[in-house]
Amino acid sequence: MSLPKLHGIGEGPWRGEERASAFAEREFQVCIAARMVEDGSTYWVAGGGGPMYSVLMAKRLYAPDVVYVTEDGLVGAEPLLPFDPVMTLAAARPAYRALMWTTMSGIGDQSGVGYLDYGVLNTLQVDPYGNVNSTWLGSYPSEGRRMNGPGGADTIASVCRRLVLMTDHQRRKFVERVDFISSPGYLDGSPRARELAGLPEDTGPYAVITNWAVFDFEAESRRLRLRAIAPFVTVEQVLGEMGFRPIVPAPDEIQVLDPPTERELTILRTEMDVRGQFTDAAPDWVVWEDNQWKMVKREPQKGAGPGFI
Amino acid sequence: MESSEKVLKVLAEGKGDYKLVDPDEHRRSIKQKPRGMRKKLMGLREAIERYVADGDYLVWEINYLQRGPAAAIREIIRQRKRNLWLGGKFTWVAVALLAEAGCCDRVDVGFFVSGPALTRLALEGRVKFYEYSNLVMTARLRAGAMGVSFLPVRSFGGTDGFKYSGAKLIEDPFTGKPVVVVPALNPDVALIHVHQADEFGNARIFGASISDVESALASRKVIITAEEIVSTEEIRHNPGLTKIPYFAVDAVVHQPFGSYPGECAGYYASDTEHVGEVFAAIYRDRIKEYLDKWVYSVSNEEDMFSKLVGVGKLNELRRRATIVATEGYRP
Repeated sequence: MSLPKLHGIGEGPWRGEERASAFAEREFQVCIAARMVEDGSTYWVAGGGGPMYSVLMAKRLYAPDVVYVTEDGLVGAEPLLPFDPVMTLAAARPAYRALMWTTMSGIGDQSGVGYLDYGVLNTLQVDPYGNVNSTWLGSYPSEGRRMNGPGGADTIASVCRRLVLMTDHQRRKFVERVDFISSPGYLDGSPRARELAGLPEDTGPYAVITNWAVFDFEAESRRLRLRAIAPFVTVEQVLGEMGFRPIVPAPDEIQVLDPPTERELTILRTEMDVRGQFTDAAPDWVVWEDNQWKMVKREPQKGAGPGFI
Repeated sequence: MESSEKVLKVLAEGKGDYKLVDPDEHRRSIKQKPRGMRKKLMGLREAIERYVADGDYLVWEINYLQRGPAAAIREIIRQRKRNLWLGGKFTWVAVALLAEAGCCDRVDVGFFVSGPALTRLALEGRVKFYEYSNLVMTARLRAGAMGVSFLPVRSFGGTDGFKYSGAKLIEDPFTGKPVVVVPALNPDVALIHVHQADEFGNARIFGASISDVESALASRKVIITAEEIVSTEEIRHNPGLTKIPYFAVDAVVHQPFGSYPGECAGYYASDTEHVGEVFAAIYRDRIKEYLDKWVYSVSNEEDMFSKLVGVGKLNELRRRATIVATEGYRP
């Protein structure tokens, strides 16, 4: 049995480039997500952080014919980088040289009739069926922590044809059941669960990209399936940091991802995450030493802060 | 034609409270509003005193940090309004500020920055949250602006938010397929910060936006704060730029830097230091200190700018906006 090809994993222009010798794990994650962006498609991107950096990097390096929209009514912007802190939506620099300025309803309509191919989101928690929690950690509503709410993610997850999720590779992020379904994946995984809940057909989670691995969803069961791992971890490490077991193919079908290139990192560090607020929030750093990749802990950088994108 | 005795089937419904909308009631309140071209210019304090009442359902456009009515939100806190119900969509910090200030006890959720204060208020039951999303809240306002009581949407189904909302899953009477319908929203009052308005309330907004038009038509009372007051001749010169018609507007407030510390796209950049300060206040549970400094210790916006910001900073913010994209932000 051969698995369906995932765009951007394996051969690609990055193979001919100078390889970086040290990078943060979240930088690696953004580069992988950028390579997976499919040229000639339309994207609905969450407002900031990994999803936005990935699509912007892809447009620069690998997928110039991608057009992305954001929920604040922007279609096809060519933003002026870098952004001021937090000013990733509803501001002049991200809106620069757009093809169209419309409204949230305008983007809602474009997505509702099916013009938007991919959605890209960050998630706090994800389960085996790609359901997303961004509302509450703990037992809703009596115990735990109030979180931000879905924002536009609920609609991005509902109406885009393929949903790409990004999250840190941590056991607390991959849970058997999310504490609260803020944005829909394949719900309980049963056939047609999404359609029966009123969602459009031919939509749903497509991939999950972490700082350690890439997953897709097995077509029959709609369950998360491991497809590729970072060159600095093993399959056992990847599975050890998950609260459930995904579908794991035969070892020779699990691909090893290429490390970032110097060109990718330069764009990310000098034009996008110039303050390190996204990539420095996670402390792990990967270096090439003694002919192998090693993970080292760093002191958190000054200015790094949660959610300050 | 065959007679149809089909009963509309409700397949599932959320159990959240919602502000029940009767479109005819909204029409009755709209009937009371004056139709003549009447001057509505007034100060911010008077506008908030006259048009925001305790217990109102309040919406605002964009947010405290992005072409939002930040000045008006501070004035609501300063006047210690109580028991507001907030439409908390696409907003960074305003929900946490209003909640910790004791101004609200209910929030319809779209997106906001949470933190220790909102968790505490939620667990103590002092603020009740009803779960929606940005697009779903916008659809609710759109229904309210259309004069109908609900609208079908293609998202929201299957989520836990649905369970804690006022939405219903019904069998579509036309296709027979399941479809989610959400209740319309007719807020009591909308706060909208615009680039330009005339003294009657004809308002221009430059750039992309969230749901200014929907909020203006759906709400019973509308307060416009404007960076610039322009003549009605200027409005008539380029009518395609008018987003909100005068008859929807109750108060027009000339409020330069009304979005401070946020950015007003094309006019001035955000004060990044202040933005960092308000985020830190929320994450580190120091909202009261933030409000003491920026709201309670000053008597109004002019006082705040002269005591805490300074002309030099405001000039810098304008300059930074001139360096970036001005294209599209002027007639």
